[in-house]
Amino acid sequence: MSSPLKPQTDNWWDVPVHWDEKVWIGISVFWALVLFGWMTAWGSIGNQTQEGPTYQVSPNAFQTKIDSFKARAEETDRGFRPAGSDVYIAGMRYGFDGLPVVLKAGKEYDFHLSSYDVQHGFGVRPNDALSKQMTLQLLPGYEWVLPMTFDEPGTYHVVCNEFCGVGHRTMHAKFIVEK
Amino acid sequence: MDPSTTAPRSGLLGLFDNPYDEEGFRTCSVTGLNIHRSVENYVKLFGLTAVVALLVGGIAAIFVAMTRWELVSLTSAPDFYNWLSVHAWNLLIFWMVFMEIGILYVGGPMVLGRKLPTPSLAKTGWIVMLGSAVWINVELFTTSAPDSAPLLTSYAPLPSSAGFYLGTIVFILGTIIAALPFLISIWQEKTEHPNRSLPLVSFGAFITAIVALEALIGGLITYVPTYLWRIGIVEHIDAAWYRQMYWIIGHGSQQINLLAMITVWYFLTHVVGGAEVVSEKVSRTAFILYLFFINMGAAHHLMADPALATVWKEWNTSYAVYGAVIASMIHAFAIPAGLEAGRRKRGQGKGLFSWLMSAPWKDPVFSSVIFGIILFGFLGGITGVIMGQMQLNLTWHNTFATVGHFHATVVLGTTITFMGLVYFVIRLLFRRKLFLKPLAQLQPYFYAGTMSLTTLMMLYLGILYGIPRRHPSVTDIPGTEFDFAAAEPLFWVFGVAAILAITGGALFILVAVGSLLFGEPTDPSSLVPAVEPVEDDDTSLHAQSVRGTFTLTLVFLAVFVVTYVLNWYLLSRLWHIG
Ligand code: HEM
Ligand SMILES: [Cu+2]
Ligand SMILES: [Cu+2]
Repeated sequence: MSSPLKPQTDNWWDVPVHWDEKVWIGISVFWALVLFGWMTAWGSIGNQTQEGPTYQVSPNAFQTKIDSFKARAEETDRGFRPAGSDVYIAGMRYGFDGLPVVLKAGKEYDFHLSSYDVQHGFGVRPNDALSKQMTLQLLPGYEWVLPMTFDEPGTYHVVCNEFCGVGHRTMHAKFIVEK
Repeated sequence: MDPSTTAPRSGLLGLFDNPYDEEGFRTCSVTGLNIHRSVENYVKLFGLTAVVALLVGGIAAIFVAMTRWELVSLTSAPDFYNWLSVHAWNLLIFWMVFMEIGILYVGGPMVLGRKLPTPSLAKTGWIVMLGSAVWINVELFTTSAPDSAPLLTSYAPLPSSAGFYLGTIVFILGTIIAALPFLISIWQEKTEHPNRSLPLVSFGAFITAIVALEALIGGLITYVPTYLWRIGIVEHIDAAWYRQMYWIIGHGSQQINLLAMITVWYFLTHVVGGAEVVSEKVSRTAFILYLFFINMGAAHHLMADPALATVWKEWNTSYAVYGAVIASMIHAFAIPAGLEAGRRKRGQGKGLFSWLMSAPWKDPVFSSVIFGIILFGFLGGITGVIMGQMQLNLTWHNTFATVGHFHATVVLGTTITFMGLVYFVIRLLFRRKLFLKPLAQLQPYFYAGTMSLTTLMMLYLGILYGIPRRHPSVTDIPGTEFDFAAAEPLFWVFGVAAILAITGGALFILVAVGSLLFGEPTDPSSLVPAVEPVEDDDTSLHAQSVRGTFTLTLVFLAVFVVTYVLNWYLLSRLWHIG
């Protein structure tokens, strides 16, 4: 053993390591492998992995996409019912263009996510189960296409949770999932 | 009072006049270190400046926490963001970085028994850092439309004031200048003694400095173009580019905090607890692992981002897991094991935990350091690894739980440890008795307890209710019927705990400043038992059991596993994503 304040002159590399410490290092390496293995495996065995292509897109071009999405959708008093399985959403100070939408439970939709101005957050939860929530980042200049399927009908609330200016807390929206 | 060991008070309250020999050295009666005046004075100066930043940031904590507790709703939204920026910059940046320069000077020239090389650079660095810190504070307090409060992250393309970016660049340059005397001292040591290894504490400080330089250069790569964009010379700034570059310094500076803190742990457990290094090889290798791997830890800020491939995310998080988490787990064993073996060798404990029970728990330096180690590991480390897993990050990203995670690391870990270091500096370098000693003894317990509760509430509010961070109101939201009012009971606990924690922080400032103003000058060996020299006897290694440490780390692992499984369970309840 040695003092952490003294220069080392002997060959400290060859001093044997305590058995307990070796075992702990072994446990640590094993645990790190479990962490990595499980995270990678979840991509195939689990249902939640935020994987989907990203495209570069100017805010204007994305706005055109949103406009045509809205034009093709059926407009109801609860929101846009998408014509196909694509949903377009853009964050903007302080709201979400493209929302509210009305979706069918159990159907897979491709969410196209972007922003018109600054960074925003896309935080989603069912209104009646606050602990079931997740967040994605919305960046201007990038269109992220992420498939999502909602099995449980209900109202889902969307919160912006990336700071986007003094009105940040007022940036909310929702969508509805029907049977 | 013995006049031969204590100098009379003269100018500057006598804070800078210890008894030195003709060459300006003195031998510390506790550590045996050969301390030169130049080193000691700059350590004091940087430490004192850090405490002022802690005070400013702590005052801001009142406004931030009491706005988030909506029963109080202290400030309006724009004011909240200005206070939040002041809170983040003074605590996470100025309090920590000024302390860290002091730590480099301790770990380098002080431990090596050298003069501070080029004190003029230390002085220039200090002036530039202080000037830019004041400037940044002015910019933060006066932010108004169309500029936005930068908070910690100043995410482009949301503009902050041009002065803020420029002030930040100057602060980075000042920090680099202030770090140079440390690097020179290491270089001098290695040229004079090419065949001996640096002491472990100096080695840790050296790795800290390299990681710091990488972070600071990343900061220049981020802030120079962003400044040029803000003043209109560069037309476009890409949000994804900014995020990736920003986190080189944004996370890099957290790595500085981590490495500096671990270096201080090795230092203080030795000086006040009698710890020794159980394996130079293992502890040094762990530092080297940080050097190569910890940078990629920054990738965990980008897990919920578009524009980055899944493989990139998985590689960087797993790479970081392999390298840096293992390194942290090694230190988590090596430091308590050093304490256990060192104390057992000195006959201070035979049973499984008696070495720990018999430790100097009434010494606020010791209790601060031990709370820092335990709370950093159990609350900060575990939550960090969990939120750094790519998919789990979905449920943590930008919620109040994220705020909980980093208060566990930078407050429960680093700030508490640095408070212990300040107590140490007051007694061993300023050579003062602690003012209001019973209060000083209580402070680490009170602060660690109440701040842990505050942090746990942040974590629960984020994970169980999805409360977003950086929202001045969530139970009554303008423009929507939706609200998070279900979380109100937890906000009560949070609010009360936060008030108590802020009080605990104020107690620290009271004791620290009070000791400098009113503490009785004294020879520190009358306050802290002198460190007994360690014999270089490598057979003694296996004579000492470290079973107590092994048991503690197994408990840690069990908590880790349970929390990990719970988080995956929460995630698996979500709808299909991807
Ligand atoms: C009694 C002590 C403290 C209390 C009660 C406290 C409370 C808080 C609260 C309520 C937030 C805001 C959360 C939000 O709305 O997003 C916050 C943010 C923050 N705090 Fe603290 N804090 C304390 C001490 C510290 C310390 C010592 C540090 C650093 C060493 C620190 C670093 C930060 C940072 C970096 C942020 C994030 C700012 C941002 O969002 O950009 N805090 N704190
Ligand atoms: Cu927003
Ligand atoms: Cu926002």
